[in-house]
Amino acid sequence: MNYRRVLKVLGSLLLFEALTLIPPLAISIYHNQHDRQAFLYTIAIILAFSIPMSLLPQKSNRIKAKEALSIVTLGWLLVAFFGSLPFVFSGSIPSVIDAFFETVSGLTTTGATIIEDIEVLPRGILFWRSFTHWIGGMGILVLTLAILPTIGVGGFQIFKAESPGPISDKLVPKMKDTAKILYSAYLGITVIQTVMLYFGGLSLYEALVHTFGTVGTGGFSTRNASIGAFNYSSYIIMVISFFMIASGVNFSLYYEMYKGRWRNVLKNSEFRAYMSIIFISVLLITVNLNGLYSSVFETFKHSLFQVASIITTTGYTTADFDQWNSFSKAILFTLMFVGGCAGSTGGSIKVIRLVILFKLVKREIKKILHPNAYVPIQINKKMVSNDVVASITSFFFLYLVIFAVGTLLISLEGVGFITASSAVAATLGNIGPGFEMVGPTMTYSHFSIPSKLLLSLMMLFGRLELFTIFVMLMPNFWINE
Amino acid sequence: MYVIIVGAGKLGYKLAESFSHVNNNVVIVDTDNGALQRVSNHIDLLTVKANGVKLSVLEELGVKNADLLISVTSSDETNMLICTTAKKLGCKRVIARIRNPEYGNQMDFVKNKLEIDYIANPELETAKEITKYLLKGDAIHMEDFARGKVVMADFRVNSLNNMKGKKLKELEISKPVLIVAISRDGEMIIPHGDTELTQRDIIYVIGEKENINTFSKFWGAPVERKHVKKAMILGGGKAGFYLARKLIASGVSVKIIERNKERCKYLVEELNNALVIQGDATDQQLILDENISDMDALILLTGYDEENLLLSLLGKKYGVSKVIAKVSRPNYIPIIEQLGIDVAINPIMITAGGILRYVQGGKVESISMLLGGQAEVLEIIAPNNSKVIGVPLSKLELPKGIIIGAIVDNGKVTIPNGNSIINPGNRLVVFCLQSEISSLDKYFYRTKGGLLDELQKSFKGLRKSASI
Repeated sequence: MNYRRVLKVLGSLLLFEALTLIPPLAISIYHNQHDRQAFLYTIAIILAFSIPMSLLPQKSNRIKAKEALSIVTLGWLLVAFFGSLPFVFSGSIPSVIDAFFETVSGLTTTGATIIEDIEVLPRGILFWRSFTHWIGGMGILVLTLAILPTIGVGGFQIFKAESPGPISDKLVPKMKDTAKILYSAYLGITVIQTVMLYFGGLSLYEALVHTFGTVGTGGFSTRNASIGAFNYSSYIIMVISFFMIASGVNFSLYYEMYKGRWRNVLKNSEFRAYMSIIFISVLLITVNLNGLYSSVFETFKHSLFQVASIITTTGYTTADFDQWNSFSKAILFTLMFVGGCAGSTGGSIKVIRLVILFKLVKREIKKILHPNAYVPIQINKKMVSNDVVASITSFFFLYLVIFAVGTLLISLEGVGFITASSAVAATLGNIGPGFEMVGPTMTYSHFSIPSKLLLSLMMLFGRLELFTIFVMLMPNFWINE
Repeated sequence: MYVIIVGAGKLGYKLAESFSHVNNNVVIVDTDNGALQRVSNHIDLLTVKANGVKLSVLEELGVKNADLLISVTSSDETNMLICTTAKKLGCKRVIARIRNPEYGNQMDFVKNKLEIDYIANPELETAKEITKYLLKGDAIHMEDFARGKVVMADFRVNSLNNMKGKKLKELEISKPVLIVAISRDGEMIIPHGDTELTQRDIIYVIGEKENINTFSKFWGAPVERKHVKKAMILGGGKAGFYLARKLIASGVSVKIIERNKERCKYLVEELNNALVIQGDATDQQLILDENISDMDALILLTGYDEENLLLSLLGKKYGVSKVIAKVSRPNYIPIIEQLGIDVAINPIMITAGGILRYVQGGKVESISMLLGGQAEVLEIIAPNNSKVIGVPLSKLELPKGIIIGAIVDNGKVTIPNGNSIINPGNRLVVFCLQSEISSLDKYFYRTKGGLLDELQKSFKGLRKSASI
């Protein structure tokens, strides 16, 4: 393995993280709060590590699959570690493990928190907490790719390892330009939502923080009651619902829209399935909850918001859905295993995988009736190769295995089954809140240290789509063959 | 530049690799998933699984904004159709691979009426390259640059007297020549004064032709010129046909051995004065009966690299002075040097070199690829205001993989040292490792510099790629 190259890219990545710490620093200086030292120290420490790393002389700049996987996994761990320092230094989260959990939760856009009272924390710290969603949403390495001078071929490997979905395709020939286009769309959506929330009466600060939580499909808020604190304004709730759904769409579709190829968007099988699932779930929950809220519109509003929040794996809440009927809760629990579209900022299994799995089942049924039938699996009128189908089935299986093993281990804590399973589903799927003891009004602070580390690992598993990390856990990855 | 390549075979891959190094956007189209996967894993470009002959596919790829389309599918007719269609749709330049000799006489028609700008014919180019080497009569293999003023020759260290085990700085070199590279076990090494030569090495030397000859005489390499009068070609395929025709036209007596009876009939009909023998080239008795040891040259052009390589060993064993083998797969190139064949010709490299030369137009005068494309030797005319102008070479801080082998100023050849200065309009013979090709741009072509320029450029690139 080309260790120098890996270290150098990691160095550039950390330099980047130092840059991302400047906006929260500016905010804490502006408000003259005590957390500014925390940011300054963190930036100094990061620079002390990253500058020598990025200046390493290079023999060759080739990046093969192995290097790319190491860069992605180690990169995420390092960024999470250094990103947790401001919480520790400022005293907001005194425990290192807790701070790491919170940062991983932020970067992986999970939104699971261990902080009991958010509202007392300084503004810079809260801004940083939500900003990690925005950085992690599209992928911090993709961001680095977009700006760093030519990483070249290896860039595609990194992109494939970091971006969610079974098939990662470039939009344009150069990796760098693809990354730029994706980030332009991301930035565009961010700006529009911030402006819309600002006009809805939020302060610019709160508008920004909640936009980061929405477009990154994260879920950190500045309020203890999450978005429930804005229940007075249906406008704000509808805007956030809309943008949550928009962030769960494959970002390459925005490029298609920009190019005016609307047909490709409307005919996209994943997009249609995604929209249908949302529509049906909202309909069922609205009917099921009839009478719980003051009007049908209120019921619709809350069910839309909760469905959008869970399926896109955001984790914002306007209502304590733990109090809902069990049918509605079952729907939400099922949605935790759906997730957004491939190439979006959403987590979990992803709609495209489920669509393909359903087609696979359909094929099996057809083959029972017509044993010799040739039934190819097609998505958007294009054949899905057997390799992709195989990788999806093994992904699905591995996802369930990790979910089961995780639930077993968390159960050792002595918490209830629903708590244990929903905590694992909510962290593995990068959602955030689960049910009962990890429900919308609760936090993850009561878990023991080993469980917090396990759940952090779950979040990373989910964000980097299992295999990226799994490969690195295999002993023969580290043996030079 | 926006480049579309149709066909992801050996040539398509090589072209994609060469084009994607520079500031180009490359899209490669093929119907085979496996071939596309291979390309996308190694090269930064966009792969599209589709049939390039379909109008809708070409339109969707934005062929009207394309600067270049190269069609290298396996069928000549498909290539022609794709190119003509692309041209009609507004593609600026189109290149087709057309290899069938039947079309050979109507190339002008194809170029003018079908509006195909450049026709790549690997077999014809291979034949040309072999003819050039055979007829020049030089004892060593040389490549010409700057209209023959500068040459690059390669020597096998074990064929030279007393060279092995010496360090470069200990070599006595009377006339100025430059050892630009050493190929050792299939790898290109950029040497410095302390590099020790081993007997497995091949050295690449750049200099004026007379000086190279002096060098070769001094170290005891063969210098006598020997004209080829009798040649045996094994394999009467397209390349064999073209070669035979060229050699016959220059008065060489040619013997072709071809397995397929139908093909023999065709060769006899189309070639005058060639002796065509139907038989298996691997049949040793047959080759002996046909007096292989009397031949001045043996050329192996069968369709199998392995056969060509083994037969060339046989040729060497029977004392044929010039043995040339066609080897299409780049994987074999590292082994070839150890086999003692005089020249291994790779049609893919030659064709890719030809296409690059055509596309680069004014910027690059000639390109030749070494060792399966591990390195390239380019002839560049130094543009005004580029970074290399007016600075002593030692101050220029060129990357290690880029070496200026010779500077030609108004016909005067200089082998540069650290104090040499390049003036605008000088012809430069530049040796460059594949890994450094992208830096060439920075030193030799780009005029401005700095972060701002870089940013500006990247935004331009973005807009350009967004318009695809």
